[in-house]
Amino acid sequence: MLKRLVVLVALAASPLAAQDKPVVAAVNYPLAWMAERLGGDAVEVLFPVPADRDPSFWRPGLSDISAIQAADVIALNGAGFAGWTTRTSLPRSRIVDTSAGFSDDYISTDSITHSHGADGEHSHTGTASYTWLDFGQAARQAEALAGMMQRRIPGSGDAVVSALPGLVADLEALDSHARDTLAPLQGTAMIATHPRYQYFARAYGLQIAALDWDAGAMPDADQWDALQALTDETGAQTLIWEAAPPQEALAQAEGMGLRSVVFAPLAVRPETGEFQGVMRGQIDALAQGE
Amino acid sequence: MIRTLGLAFTLAAALPAAAHDLRVFASVTGDTVTVESKFSTGRIPNAGEVRVLDASDTLVMTLPLGEDGVTTFALPDGAADGGLMIEVDVSEGHSDYWLLTPDDIAHGQGTN
Repeated sequence: MLKRLVVLVALAASPLAAQDKPVVAAVNYPLAWMAERLGGDAVEVLFPVPADRDPSFWRPGLSDISAIQAADVIALNGAGFAGWTTRTSLPRSRIVDTSAGFSDDYISTDSITHSHGADGEHSHTGTASYTWLDFGQAARQAEALAGMMQRRIPGSGDAVVSALPGLVADLEALDSHARDTLAPLQGTAMIATHPRYQYFARAYGLQIAALDWDAGAMPDADQWDALQALTDETGAQTLIWEAAPPQEALAQAEGMGLRSVVFAPLAVRPETGEFQGVMRGQIDALAQGE
Repeated sequence: MIRTLGLAFTLAAALPAAAHDLRVFASVTGDTVTVESKFSTGRIPNAGEVRVLDASDTLVMTLPLGEDGVTTFALPDGAADGGLMIEVDVSEGHSDYWLLTPDDIAHGQGTN
């Protein structure tokens, strides 16, 4: 956090200093991690979302936007992730929508229908946006980012070309590991506390029903009732938490016969470790006990 | 809650329903800021409120939404240095925002 703050202050205070290193701005941690792997020390990676905020719904301040507008490459996740990207002017020539190459494979989310005003009955549909949880798709996102970095950052081409195969290989290895490790869970109903895992479930053959709980918060009585109803309906015995909940929440879930697993989608930077290692550990934890 | 969601999904499946969201866009021409608001269907909101905030999130002014969904106002003092956040709430329950950075404003003023 402090490091990011220092970077931002430096960018704001000294345009010349900002020009010393090319900047890649990323809308989520997976893309920031990829940019770090691809660019190494030759690039500055800007991921200004505070650790306690959800990058999907984060609304940047004007100083954040100014810094992002000035970046050499702006890495978007696509699939509707980070709504702010459609609410300000971003330099089109420096933007890369890293999931555009597989947009035909986006997953539509359920709609909420309501009525008001002259439009009568209408719906709010969406697109599942945590694309990187299919690690094969994440590899495609890395390739798209690498292509843009090569085009937009003079002199980075060789470094990016050198780094890309290793990054793609690591993501494809993660994909294989998930496929193999989670195979025994195929056909087993699970429940997630938040609808984040659509691509993960599709890629690895999992059945994950979702609630809509706040990350890391103690659920209220209505939410426990909803969990009980969904457990009864699905027969699920595993509850996937987006973030570590209070201990009493874990105890209550256990009392309902549910095994709790914390599986962070890693839209934000983990407190320790990096994307590949943390994901691998979470996959192993999810598979344990089955 | 499950029942409510189930009802919503059932309704969504059973009725022809058009998706709409509010879209807000703001631009600067000279010393005038223009805010355009409309639904994704193209329809203009009936009524609403435009709030203008500065870079420190301080409310600078509140204006009614124009009849044609367009609201204009003079660029506030200091906005060129810090930028503006423009929030729009319409009476039909939707809201959206647009962020104008100093670069955007300078571009609109022809100074960059």
